[in-house]
Amino acid sequence: MTSEPTAVIHDIGYRHYEGARLGRGSAALALAVNSLRGVFGLGRTARAKIMPFLLATIMLLPAVVSIAVMALLKQDGLPYPAYAVTMQAVLAIFLAAQSPYLVAPDLRFRVLPLYFSRPVTVVDYIGAKLAALAVAMFLLIAVPLTLLFAGELLVDRPGPPHTSQYLAAMGGAVVYAVLLAAIGIALASLTPRRGLGVASVIAFYLFTSAVSAVFFGVLLSIGRETAAKWAMLINPFFLVDAVQVALFGTDPSNGEGYPPGLWACLIVPVVIAVAVAGILLRYRKAASS
Amino acid sequence: MAILATEGLTKRFPRVTALDELTVMAGTGVTGLVGANGAGKSTLIKILLGLLPPTSGRARVLDLDAATHGLEIRRLVGYMPEHDCLPPDVSATEFVVHMAQMSGLPRTAARERAADTLRHVGLHEERYRPIGGYSTGMRQRVKLAQALVHDPRLVFLDEPTNGLDPQGRDEMLALIRRIGTEFGISVLVTSHLLGELERVCDHVIVIDAGRLLRSSAIGDFTQASQAIAVEVEDGLEPLVERLGGLGEAVAVQGRLLTVQVPADADPGRTYDAVRDAVCDLGLNLVRLEQRRGHIEDVFKEPVA
Repeated sequence: MTSEPTAVIHDIGYRHYEGARLGRGSAALALAVNSLRGVFGLGRTARAKIMPFLLATIMLLPAVVSIAVMALLKQDGLPYPAYAVTMQAVLAIFLAAQSPYLVAPDLRFRVLPLYFSRPVTVVDYIGAKLAALAVAMFLLIAVPLTLLFAGELLVDRPGPPHTSQYLAAMGGAVVYAVLLAAIGIALASLTPRRGLGVASVIAFYLFTSAVSAVFFGVLLSIGRETAAKWAMLINPFFLVDAVQVALFGTDPSNGEGYPPGLWACLIVPVVIAVAVAGILLRYRKAASS
Repeated sequence: MAILATEGLTKRFPRVTALDELTVMAGTGVTGLVGANGAGKSTLIKILLGLLPPTSGRARVLDLDAATHGLEIRRLVGYMPEHDCLPPDVSATEFVVHMAQMSGLPRTAARERAADTLRHVGLHEERYRPIGGYSTGMRQRVKLAQALVHDPRLVFLDEPTNGLDPQGRDEMLALIRRIGTEFGISVLVTSHLLGELERVCDHVIVIDAGRLLRSSAIGDFTQASQAIAVEVEDGLEPLVERLGGLGEAVAVQGRLLTVQVPADADPGRTYDAVRDAVCDLGLNLVRLEQRRGHIEDVFKEPVA
């Protein structure tokens, strides 16, 4: 009797793939998830995680301090709608540091033709990148707000919780996220170099906030108070704050107030549309080259 | 069956005509697309992928119109560009998995396929390291793997041997041959060297300045430039004398002996003569291989 071999190594050669082939939507979703993870440095080197996690931690600090103030001093903490405006420098740095990561390497290392040689269109690609950055910015604002709200409920201060303020701030966070993501991607996609992208986004923030402050001061000193309030809207953070004020009736966080009416609610969609149109033009050109 | 076909395909850019009334057809197997730099090879591939609209004419890939069904075509086709297209800070595995997902594969399937495909193209342990540290040969393999990972029915390989050393070229060509035969994936491979495509293609299309120069099965191409290279340990001179005496066209290049194989005669005769001569003289044979033809000869040939 011959004994059968118990284990054999087969060279199975090339096998065809018979499994599922998902559509454009799944590919775009996979790209968005992959990009979102990348924004926070997940699946990247340890060095890539330092900046996003450091900034995310800094975003949490005011919430922690506010909870401590509520618990120990029995006083109100930082108001919810003012959170993003107070932390605008941190948000701007995060936007500047991370938006070039999303678009610059694909341009610089010419990975784009590989995407577009697949069932992924320019719109899918841009949509996925914008969504990833918008979700990241939203998390950056919404997580501290939610922590603060949970803290307020746990501390159980006398009087009703500021639920409507919290919800208004969360609504504002959505607007912040979309507006900042559109601006970030639009500026970062102009250059294939990541360093230049970082510089251009941070320069945009510094420029708009400086111009808005200078105009505000000058216009106020010559007694043009209404015009001065308009100048505030040049800073994108105050622009969204004005939307919050107009839509949800929160207190203005700039200490001065904004022009009356729904103007800010009109300006924000226009800015987003201009930014997205710019991105589309940029990538239509890149796709056919 | 026609894998791709064009009909009077023309592409004009503002300053240059890239394709001029090009009508070609290619069946299953490995098809070579040969032309000098700027002949319109890459433009043709972009039109076939549905990424570039033609100025006039039609192109069909896998029986789908490239101008209107680009998405469906790109689902079934793989593309390896000529230029570098790899981010340096991710590993080959991560990158190929990502590209598989972009082709619509679910994540687990993408992982399996990526591992399989990287093994087939010959990337082993190094696939876990960042691509930034790879040699040109390894990069070309990653580029090929991303084109194959979703198991396409057809792959476009744009200058896959570019920048490779002779051994790397041979390995890449052998791989392309395997893709066309063993893997059962049709291949359209471009090159500016006909000589290297000769060995792996079933059919060759030669274009020049956007126009078709010739399109025919590989056997129809002239074999006049075919030659064999012989290397022996010692005794090159007696071998030269012996073969010369038999009327073979022999040339010595350093330690190598090149013997021309005449196109008209029975090609086996020359091979036999070399074998017998080496045998009779008792020489140690180091190498006996086919020499590649020269593309210049084909371009010089009159258009059929």
